[in-house]
Amino acid sequence: MIREKLLSGKFTITAEISPPKGTDVNWMMKEAGMIKNAVDALCVTDNQRAIMRMSPIAACSALLQHGYETIMHLTCRDRNRLALQSELLGAAGLGIKNILVMSGDYPTKGDHPGAKPVYDLDSVQLLDMISRLNKGVDLSGNRLEGKTEFFAGAVSNTELTEVALMKLEKKIKAGAHFIITQAVFDPGKFSEFLDQVHDAGGKKIKIIAGIIPLRSRKTADFLNRNIAGVKVPDNVIKRLSSSSDPGALGIEMAADMIKELREICDGVHIMPVGTHENTRKILEMAGL
Amino acid sequence: MIISRSKEFKDILKTVQQRNIFIIGCGKCAAKQHLGGEPEVLEMKKKLGISGKNVVGCTVLSSACNIASWDDVLTQNPDIKKAEAFLVMSCGGGVSIISSVADKAVYPALDTESLGGVCGDTIVLEQCGMCDDCDIWLFGGLCPVGQCPKSMRNGPCGGSLDGKCEVDERKCVWDEIHTKLKSLGRLEGLKDIHPPKDHSKRRGRK
Ligand code: SF4
Ligand code: SF4
Repeated sequence: MIREKLLSGKFTITAEISPPKGTDVNWMMKEAGMIKNAVDALCVTDNQRAIMRMSPIAACSALLQHGYETIMHLTCRDRNRLALQSELLGAAGLGIKNILVMSGDYPTKGDHPGAKPVYDLDSVQLLDMISRLNKGVDLSGNRLEGKTEFFAGAVSNTELTEVALMKLEKKIKAGAHFIITQAVFDPGKFSEFLDQVHDAGGKKIKIIAGIIPLRSRKTADFLNRNIAGVKVPDNVIKRLSSSSDPGALGIEMAADMIKELREICDGVHIMPVGTHENTRKILEMAGL
Repeated sequence: MIISRSKEFKDILKTVQQRNIFIIGCGKCAAKQHLGGEPEVLEMKKKLGISGKNVVGCTVLSSACNIASWDDVLTQNPDIKKAEAFLVMSCGGGVSIISSVADKAVYPALDTESLGGVCGDTIVLEQCGMCDDCDIWLFGGLCPVGQCPKSMRNGPCGGSLDGKCEVDERKCVWDEIHTKLKSLGRLEGLKDIHPPKDHSKRRGRK
């Protein structure tokens, strides 16, 4: 269980996985199979980048049945406070223990650009609501028959403006137990981020660093251009462009990064571009 | 001020099937934005004429959403009798009020976008989200419900980058809120967790 593992100070590994675009869970199961027993929990996305897919609650439930521990993503984009709460009660009922909360990319970024954006709550308010459900009361103060016991987390970029740090502090105050960060490529800057968060939000908060194994210069450029909060530094791009085997170099760099981060934070979160075919190898090379 | 945009002329032609049209402009917000004042009404009249419509008359009301007496409008504009339909160049508020008193089909010429304002010569869009529970003072007069596309009340989303919003070309209002409150020495208040808005105030009006 990642709650026990993180709280006891053990280095924890999570990996991102997306539900299918459709009803066929075979590809997702194959992906999960590739990293079985190599990671502690699978982080299941919620209409990521506003692209409609199977609900994370259903995908988590399918994965649980196959023996995987999951972290269910929950965004504020698609559900109002009634839907969020009933989804959370449903998740608890199905045995889902961990929730990762985020605002959610705006609908115009995805494949249903005309969708009505909901954002009834923001991520701070959603975390606060989970804390209430954990105490056995809903957002309106009604008693629940059976409370939830979620281990809740939030996401964060690793370079924060003053006001972004202020929000992160509120997420911790509202009940976030752990933070999963955007991909890290600069350990120096990342350790500054760790200090910032520990100063602002206390030492108890567990921080899991995001890792995106690069495949080529093209992936690096794509990330820099399209993913907010990701900055692949120039020296990394240079190494990739001059390498004869950028794929292998990307794996090596990810493994080195994990080795370095292992000394300073509480875990890593692997977000592959595409599939998990290299994840096991990266973790082995990192000595995990 | 209500912020609107002109519909595409071809879309107006597609919706307005009738031939005999009376055009109504609005002397307030729509005129200020050059979308429904006299010059725009006359331009619309010309374009409809070229497209084979018969514009039986036109007028610019002092404000389309504030009709003291429809009878007076009818008396002052006897040509309305000849019309089969109205084309109203105002926000949805004006189109609604005219629809409620007119006994002919009423069509909008504008799309109503948001509640904004004019400052000097600059038209500012989307200032207020009309939540019916105003606490804009907490944010230094920059409303996150109105100005942040995600209505975030506790700080910026992860898409805020170098002061820019992830959604479109606008600035991230959270950077502006922070700068403003910092200059006023009021940053402390931003650290409070602001609860979700109470939407029952809006819809559950007694
Ligand atoms: S809080 Fe914002 S949206 Fe609500 S009434 Fe005030 S300005 Fe408008
Ligand atoms: S970037 Fe700023 S203004 Fe845009 S949605 Fe995010 S918080 Fe709101």
